[in-house]
This record gives sequence, C-alpha cells and structure tokens, in this order.
Amino acid sequence: MIVPYGHVIVLAGIIFLLGLLCAVTRRNLIMIVLGIEIMLNAGALAFIGASLRWQQMGGQAVALFILAIAAAEVSIGLALIVSVYRKYGTIHVDILEKSTR
Amino acid sequence: MNWTLFQPELYYFMVVMVFLTVSMLNSVSVKTNYYTALISAVIGVAVCTMSLRVNGTLFYNTYRVDLYSQLFKLMLAVGMFLVISVCNKLKSVDDSRHPEFYLLVATATLAMMMLTSAVHLLTIYICLELSSYSLYILVFLRKDQETGVNTALKYFLTGASASAVMLFGFALVYGKFPSIYLADLVESIPRFIDQPSVSIGMLLMLCGFFFKLGVFPFHFWLPDTYEGSANETTTFIATVSKVAAIAIMIRMVALIGGNSVYLIKVLIGISVITMTLGNLCAIAQQDLKRLLAYSSIAHAGYVLLGILCMSPNGYTGAVFYAVTILLLKFTCFMVVISISKKGESPSVDQLAGLHRRSPLLALALMLALFGLAGIPPTIGFSGKLLIFTAAMNNGYFLLVFIAMVNVVISLYYYLLVLKAAYLKEPVDDIQPLHVPFPQKVLTTALIITIVTIGIFPTYLIDLADAAVKYLM
Repeated sequence: MIVPYGHVIVLAGIIFLLGLLCAVTRRNLIMIVLGIEIMLNAGALAFIGASLRWQQMGGQAVALFILAIAAAEVSIGLALIVSVYRKYGTIHVDILEKSTR
Repeated sequence: MNWTLFQPELYYFMVVMVFLTVSMLNSVSVKTNYYTALISAVIGVAVCTMSLRVNGTLFYNTYRVDLYSQLFKLMLAVGMFLVISVCNKLKSVDDSRHPEFYLLVATATLAMMMLTSAVHLLTIYICLELSSYSLYILVFLRKDQETGVNTALKYFLTGASASAVMLFGFALVYGKFPSIYLADLVESIPRFIDQPSVSIGMLLMLCGFFFKLGVFPFHFWLPDTYEGSANETTTFIATVSKVAAIAIMIRMVALIGGNSVYLIKVLIGISVITMTLGNLCAIAQQDLKRLLAYSSIAHAGYVLLGILCMSPNGYTGAVFYAVTILLLKFTCFMVVISISKKGESPSVDQLAGLHRRSPLLALALMLALFGLAGIPPTIGFSGKLLIFTAAMNNGYFLLVFIAMVNVVISLYYYLLVLKAAYLKEPVDDIQPLHVPFPQKVLTTALIITIVTIGIFPTYLIDLADAAVKYLM
C-alpha cells in the first residue's frame, strides 16, 4: 500500500466532518441530504482504506453496498423533498419548525 | 444450504410479495386487505413458533440462527400480529394506501427479523437501513399530508445522519481489526477496547442503535414522530421497532466484553441522562402520544441499565424487558387508537370518563400503566426487578438508586393519565365506546398475559436465560 492507512483515515475523517458540518449548518433540504451523502461516502472511503490495509476484499464489497444503500436513501429523501416542495413551494428547512405543534 | 433455517424470513418475504402485488392492483377492498394481513400475521406467528429451536448459520456465516434470534423473531411476529389486529379501521391512512401500509409493515418486520440474526457488520447495516426506510415511508403515509410530510422528513434527516455516523464507526472498527464478522470481533475487541480508536469506533457504532432505541443524544425524533405519524404506525414504532433495537443493542454491547473502563462510564452516563430526561419531560405533556414517547425514552434508559451490566443476568433482564415493553406499550396504544375518533392524536383529557365508556379498556390501561411504572402484580415489575437485581450484583448501587427515584417520578405522570381515565368527568360525550368483539377478546387476553407473566415469570426468564447463552 503506497499511501499509509493513517493518511486515508485522516482524509476520511475530514470528509466526514465536512459532511456533518454541511448537514448541520445548511438550511436547504437538498444540501442537508447532500451532507448526509458525504458522510456515507467518507465511511465508504474508510472501508476501502481498511480493506487495503488488511489486503482483504471484504471492505471493498462493503463500499459497493454503501453506494447502493446511499442511492436508495437519497431516493427516499428526494421523494420527501419533492412532496414538501409541492406542499409549500419551498425547500427551506424552516417549514419544519412552524408546522408541528 | 439448509433453507429450513430461513423459514420465518422466507415466509415474511412471501407476505411482502403478496402485498406488493396487491398494492399494484387497484380493486382490492379495505376489508379484504385487512383480513389478508391479519391471517398472514397469524400464520407468521405459527411459523416463528415452529422454528424456535432451530440452530445453524447461513450465507458464509454472516447470518446466525439460534435461540436468541428465534426468540426475538417470535416477539417481532407477535408484535406485528398485535399491530395489525388494531388496524381494522386505520382511520388516519388513506383507503387507497392500505396495501402499501401493510407492505411496509411486513417489510419492516422482515428487516428487523433479519437484524436479530445478523452477525456481520454489513448484514447489520443493510437490515437496519431496510427497516428504517420502511418506517420513514410508513410515517409519511398519514392522511393529513402536512403533518405526515413534516414528521417523515424530520425522522428521515435524523435517522439518516445517525446511520451515517454508525457506518463511520463500523469503518473505524474494521480499520483496527482484520475482520467484519462479529464472531472474530468478539475475540479481539475486549483486549483492545481501551485504545482510543477502538473506543471511539464502538461508540460511533452504537449511535445508530441508540437512535433506534431513542437513547439520549438521539432521542429528539421520538416525541415528534410519535405525535405526527398515524396512531397505528406509532404503535408499530413503539413496540416492534423497539424490540428489534433491544435485540441488536444487546448483541453489539456483548462485543465489548466486561473489561472496558471508558465505554462503561459513557454508557452509565447516557443511561442515567436518558431515564431522567424522559421522565422529567413526560410530566409536562398534554398529548397522550407525546407522553408515551417520553416514557419510551425513559424505558430505553432502564433497558440500557440492564445491558450495560454486561453480565448474563443483565442481558436476561433486557430480553425480558423487551417482552414487557412489547405488551405494555401495545396495550396503551390500543387504548389510544380506540379513543381517537378520526385518527387524530388524543390528548390526556380525552381519556375522561373512560371507565364508564369502556370499563374493559380502562382496566387494560390501568394494568399497562402500572406495569410501565413497575407495580407488582404485573409483568413490568418482574422486568424491572430482573434489571435492577443484575445492576446491584454488578455493584452499581448508585445507578439503581437513581433508577428507583426515576420510577417514583414516572409513577406521578402515569397516575395523572389514570386520574384522567378514572376520576375526571367528561365534558360532552358520555356514550359508551364501541369496542368490537374481537378487540374485547384481545384486550382480555392481554390483561391475562400481563398479570400471569407478572405472577409466574419463571418460564419466560428461563427462556431468556437460555437464549442469552448463545451470545457468549
């Protein structure tokens, strides 16, 4: 392995934190879902790094599954966002606050 | 490969396929849907009972079938049957969406069943996601679209973030140990548990399960989701999904082994905060479903107290407590569904005069609330006793003391609900509540079960004991 595992895990950690930051701070629903996707991809990257470290294919398989699961997740998220848009005409996250209670 | 091991899952997969077909046809009546679902749920319970004692592994050892998983599968099947049995009106879901409702309930149950058997990180992740996705859409199906969309979106955003955090924890643990099989991890994790990367990885990993169970840092979704989703969906989330969450929590915490210093402290802190916060918030609630949601959070704290003992007794207590939560919470929500006229979320005051409108339901509610508070002749007492004894044996005296204080606090708001049901005079409608005959039978059966297991818990405790042996 040319790149040491430590570097991969640091990179994955940075990407994960960026995704978390994006999910927490952005006020646009699509950007929040995007942030969650970035977090998932950071996980996939860490899995690939680990699978290279152990010279096993298991981690790579997990990464493939993560891609598929992320696609399913984003399809549910976007479907919800589309119905929010139809209902309110906006995808700003503030609509969640005033609605319940 | 031995397919008989996979029987319950295959059966539920078939049910899913049936409802997938039905949801594509447009001509099936509401009644037919309901009876199809009910009958398939009854057969499901029978199938799970038959395969209670089978043993073995499947799919290159990623899937283990043993008494532990089969016991939880039986609980899930019973839970699904109970939930479907109160769906006869399904007032808050649009009529044309009923097949989808049953489809998603069956999918979620199937996923949770597989979750209890999964012993490979990838299998666990996929099963957890499948069950969560079904629940997101179930919440969305509420007829009152505005509430449905909002609640589902909130639930989705928190759930998806929690599962992403969990996935990163999986990756960290895999980076430390060259295997993703739980069986291998069980051997290697306890020796390295006090290294920061392993501790952090395990903690992140537990986040996803904390979310499912509604434990402190991830409890925010619970009250909103309970209040905002259809009453029947709430029943499903509060009973079946909690049982599955307890099953997987036990499996994951059993990985840590007994000799971790830091992680135990974290779990103790989380458990104390969870039960105190749940009980204190529940006092102020006017909405019955919100109140039950906060009581769910408090109960998650008690379960965690049993799990963090990391001893066979503690796990037995937690398994027993899963049965307790399933029966008692279901009874409460059955009353909620009965008193809600058009499928709205009832307030506590709406219970007024219940003892005259339907004495049977009032009695069931009383027993269920006493059970949740842990008063003796009910199953809830045995559950709490098991957990607290296990914690005492491990020397967590202060923890048990805090839990007991919490039990007293919880008694206050359970009695408030009872006061509304028994002592308060209703303002307008006094006409008796129409309870159909099958529901009367079900309620009586629940009452009998709650009391009988409360008095003779030995059989269930032995079963839980035997199941927990397979974890070690």
